Amino acid sequence: MDEGRKVISDDFARQLSPETALPVAAIKTLIGVIRRSTNTTIRGMEAELKEAIQLMEDKMETDSPDNSRSTISLTSGCQLFLRHVSRFVAESVGEEGFDESCKQQLLHRGERFAEVSETSREQIARLGHNFVRDGTVVLTHGYSRCALHLLLMAAETKVTLACSLREGRPDGAGFKAAAALSKVGVPVTVVLDSAVGYHMEMADLCVTGAEGVLENGGIVNKVGTFQMAVLAKAYNVPFYVAAESYKFARLFPLDQRDLPKGKIPRAPFAAPEGTPESVATFSPSVDYTSAEYITLLFTDLGALTPSAVSDELIRLYGEA
Amino acid sequence: MFSHLEQNRGVLPLTSKGDIHPAILALGRKYSSGEVTGATARAVAMLMAFKQVVMDYSTPPDKMLSWDLDKRLRPMMQYLIDCRPHSVSMGNAHKALRNIIAKSPPSLPEEEAKASIVDKIKEFINTRITLAANEIAKNAITKIRDGDVILTYGRSSLVESVLVAAQQAKRGSFRVIIVDSRPGVEGRQLSETLSAEGIPCTYVLLTAISYIMREVTKVFIGASAMMSNGAVLSRVGTAVVAMMARSHNLPIMFCCETYKFCERVQLDSIVYNELGQPDDLISDASGGDVDEFKALPSLKLLNLRYDLTPIKYVTLVITEFGFLPPTSVPVLIREMTRREDKDEKY
Repeated sequence: MDEGRKVISDDFARQLSPETALPVAAIKTLIGVIRRSTNTTIRGMEAELKEAIQLMEDKMETDSPDNSRSTISLTSGCQLFLRHVSRFVAESVGEEGFDESCKQQLLHRGERFAEVSETSREQIARLGHNFVRDGTVVLTHGYSRCALHLLLMAAETKVTLACSLREGRPDGAGFKAAAALSKVGVPVTVVLDSAVGYHMEMADLCVTGAEGVLENGGIVNKVGTFQMAVLAKAYNVPFYVAAESYKFARLFPLDQRDLPKGKIPRAPFAAPEGTPESVATFSPSVDYTSAEYITLLFTDLGALTPSAVSDELIRLYGEA
Repeated sequence: MFSHLEQNRGVLPLTSKGDIHPAILALGRKYSSGEVTGATARAVAMLMAFKQVVMDYSTPPDKMLSWDLDKRLRPMMQYLIDCRPHSVSMGNAHKALRNIIAKSPPSLPEEEAKASIVDKIKEFINTRITLAANEIAKNAITKIRDGDVILTYGRSSLVESVLVAAQQAKRGSFRVIIVDSRPGVEGRQLSETLSAEGIPCTYVLLTAISYIMREVTKVFIGASAMMSNGAVLSRVGTAVVAMMARSHNLPIMFCCETYKFCERVQLDSIVYNELGQPDDLISDASGGDVDEFKALPSLKLLNLRYDLTPIKYVTLVITEFGFLPPTSVPVLIREMTRREDKDEKY
């Protein structure tokens, strides 16, 4: 069994590249699990998949490269995949009778699922870029592949577009996104996270990505998103979120502290030298933005209002 | 403004009526006297009584069971409504019962048909009410953290089981503030139950709400019905509690089984409500003389039983299927109906 665990773990590590989203890597790993599996019952297969998911979650928590990626999307992507598998079983296999042809069908389905997940970013960009009109000033936060893709597509079709990017402390991911936008000729300004209030009056709209989209239509995203959303609401600036539907998680937090503990890593953040030891420092790497601050979510299922997210979740997971 | 609501006539005399089963007569009396109160208790008691009726029923010759039984039950339901206007929970349970009877296949011999109806009634009570309550408790206690101060209003059997379950599951130390109000004062019973479980409790009246709210971290309230526009129908006073909690940025969680979900849309507390005994408003410790008050020509004693909490004061609804934002109530109703229809086809 240990050997099996190592294979999964290595496979997962190989799939994890900067260009691949975490859940997609996980789903591909799970497909690998199905392919290697010698299980002849569907129950056994499901148990095997669940074990693999647990393994990946543990792995992310202990030795993720920057130790600041939240595992919410990993869990949600895997849960959705599992749901997909059990739906397939309920529809076409039944309780027993899991043979080679079923396995092939399941693999085929799984691969399609992974493909769809991979192309969803393109779909979201196509949907969302229409909301960015000519001459718009966009304010965004940190580095999100999904939001960036959307902005790049908007830049292709629009004449002028100015972007303000927030630095995105603590890892300064904003600069990475700024470089990509600047390369295609978008005027970009990187601003300090603390200056979001200063810049809000100049913004026409805000776009961010999300680590996870929650049952109530709220999102979990890089720390600092929440304050931007609150300010946007106060200034009547539309606040859009670009996120793939595999990030829809069955979580319903009541407030910041209600997010699952293990899934919220601490951001690296230290006090300057000479600070008395009695001064504590703390920063989470993500925060929770509740649904009331979000105008629309651009997803591969369409542009959804926050309340439609829950409707989609009910549909995806059935009611049980 | 409330003239369209029927005035509560107090306890009806227990006289036998031709077609009404004794179990229903007895139950009607319990409803009108307030011996059986609370949405869940009333619905369960109703189903149990009807179960008895079904067991004692025999189809007359040349009649069909499903038609005749349904016809027999109608005046009995009306009798119960005359005793006290029915709650949404009872209405939905009655609808389910009629559905069960209507679906009873005519080819089945009478004894078997009756047994199957009785079984289905039991199953409804079990899955939609008893097991649902367990599931809700299981879901709800995940929202209780160490150090929480939980506020609840009146007594809901669901909230009671949630708090007891949280204590038994050792979800850290939390305490409970029970807000109560006249004339029901059901909260007294809740405070007894919770104290017996060893949960630290504070008992206050609704008038102290603004003072006590500062200590609170979460609000759990039971619902009499969930409307499809996300509004909650509940014990009168709930809206005040929810508004006050909202102004303190507190999460307001309503515990509600899905069988209490209602397809209706309700916008205020006036169109649908129930009048309690006007005497209850004054006949209490203050020693007021009821007749003296009643003699005042320009005074109306208005004892409303329910009020409506608008959607903006509802953070989430805890159901047996998990947590639900109030905006998704119609979606769940639609999904449930769709599933029932699908079951029918098989």
